Amino acid sequence: MTYDMLQRSSGVVSGESDLWCTYAAVRTLTWLGRIGDLPAPETVAGFLSSRRNSDGGFAWSAGMSSDAWATYYCTQALADLPAGGRGTVDGASSAWVRSAAHADGGFAMTPGQASDVWATYYAVRTLVEIYGERPPEALSDWLAALQAKDGGLAWSPAHAKDGTSDVRACYYAITAWSTATGGRGPLPWDRERLTNWLMDRQSAAGGFTFQDGDETDCLWATFRATSALSRLGETPRDPQGCAAWIRARLTPDGSFTRWPGYPVPDVWAAFCGVGALRELGAGIEDIADRVVDTVLTFRTGQGGFTYRAPELASDVLTTSAHLMARRFSDTGERDALRWMENCMMPNEHGIMYMPGRGSEVRCTLWALSAGAFEDDAPARARIADWLSGAIQNPDGGFGYWEGRASDMVSTSAAAEILRKADGNAAAARLRDIAGYVATCETAPGQYANVPGGRPTLRATLQALRALHGAIGADGAHVGDALARHRVRGGGFANEGNRVPDLLSTYEAVLAADAFGLQWDAGHLTKFLDSVRTVDAGFAWTPLMATSGGPLADCLGRRLELRLSPEQHALPPLALS
Amino acid sequence: MRTTDHTETSNRVLSVLEKRFGDAARSLAPDADLTDALPGFDSLAALEYVTAVEGEFGIEVDFVGDDVRYWFSTLERTAQYVHECVEDQAA
Repeated sequence: MTYDMLQRSSGVVSGESDLWCTYAAVRTLTWLGRIGDLPAPETVAGFLSSRRNSDGGFAWSAGMSSDAWATYYCTQALADLPAGGRGTVDGASSAWVRSAAHADGGFAMTPGQASDVWATYYAVRTLVEIYGERPPEALSDWLAALQAKDGGLAWSPAHAKDGTSDVRACYYAITAWSTATGGRGPLPWDRERLTNWLMDRQSAAGGFTFQDGDETDCLWATFRATSALSRLGETPRDPQGCAAWIRARLTPDGSFTRWPGYPVPDVWAAFCGVGALRELGAGIEDIADRVVDTVLTFRTGQGGFTYRAPELASDVLTTSAHLMARRFSDTGERDALRWMENCMMPNEHGIMYMPGRGSEVRCTLWALSAGAFEDDAPARARIADWLSGAIQNPDGGFGYWEGRASDMVSTSAAAEILRKADGNAAAARLRDIAGYVATCETAPGQYANVPGGRPTLRATLQALRALHGAIGADGAHVGDALARHRVRGGGFANEGNRVPDLLSTYEAVLAADAFGLQWDAGHLTKFLDSVRTVDAGFAWTPLMATSGGPLADCLGRRLELRLSPEQHALPPLALS
Repeated sequence: MRTTDHTETSNRVLSVLEKRFGDAARSLAPDADLTDALPGFDSLAALEYVTAVEGEFGIEVDFVGDDVRYWFSTLERTAQYVHECVEDQAA
């Protein structure tokens, strides 16, 4: 794989701050003792605070549901900001975190979802480090069940039974234990087997990989491995070689890059490089100035950070949206598709939201729907293998990324991708999906995004579409859901039948088409007129006067194309 | 009488905004655009605002037919919309 397209960045830039990047930037500056170099920290606090929901938790982006990932990143980054510039972090977020706890001691990413080690790590750090509270007594038992046969730790107790160990899972579990006990409690795992498994992930070159069988060392895995070992009072087998490998990722004039051959310094590389050297006890003073200089160039006009220089910071969802809204010239379209096809981590075959980030199921679906890998059957087969071999959870469903517990949005997106793949393996995985979907059924034909959640129109239609492609589903349930959530004046509502929104209306037309149901073009036209904006875009709801951004514009444009005489089919997208 | 009704309606709409936005709402000019004047007044906040106004006055807003973007864009317009809704209900 070559990364020329990533260096030039031929995708589309949203220009928006990203939570993951903002957290990484603030932590990096904090570790370097240089948070004081951050200009206008109150604008960063403003960006982070804008992610807070009325339930006390924080969300990845405004309008989404709270989750443990966003709540930790926001509360930790706010706490890192200089006093006076950080705003307030009150106890309501701690109460929200506890609402996602399970009796077995683990935490879910969002209430009702199954526990996973990502969520448990974020929840424990938020409770203990931000709020000074005690984690549940049963935490140790839940963590103990993560050790797999090979000695490493897995994403959940169910994953551990299948023997899927990962360096990230080790880091999250060991850090949760260390945070909860101050590193002094009894270790809930066989220390020697765990330590050996972690040390064995180091290659002769000095870096680490995430899993047994991975071929390319990366800085993210190296940081997580060195951190995990450090919390156990251990070091890599070759600490000098590890430090040298990390320093070899430095560019002459900038910051860290992610893996050998990858040319672009980014914010996660800076975070991982500084973090790993710190864990190794290697000096970081000599690199501090240039890392700080580079990281500060990643600030956006919104106050937060993106992953690289903002003018080059393309992302896959925005780029896919522009492609599907038909906003590119032919040449631009080809370049944008090639750019997205390069958005892959080594050892992982799904497509990322941003380069260097873990592959994400929804982004993979958006990119494929926009035309990525259309003429590359082997690449599509590798994506299907990645989905069914690495991402699918033991409950049959899918989460946003590897190791994250299942939800309906991701499961629906994965089902769409797998349906396009040939072969019996894909068919078997599709049948397994039905098992997860069944756990989200709240009443006959009604579904929630996660088990224990509230039923919504989108989750119901996503579930029925997933079942339709797997084992078949009753179209009458789709008709019932559409009737229940049809807004009299136009469009469809996710909850009840009063407030229509663009995403639910898109999903409604998509599902009706999939099941061959009739729908009212005049009703859709009225709705589109209510969300069309003066800036020639589309708002998410009739409540807003300005465009909801490229994703909303894409969905609105595709609905217009569906209404056109050519009746262009809607791409089977899932977003939230 | 009509002026008193309007003032009371405005005050009750303002109290809805104060519950959600606190100090920022207290200093709100009647004709200020809420999206500009209130930090965090996004689509979700707008929805909560409309829903809270419905609950406060016992009315039902038609989200597609009533041009909610216009009527709920300022305190003054919201009060006028509410006043007319209440009068319609009483007629």
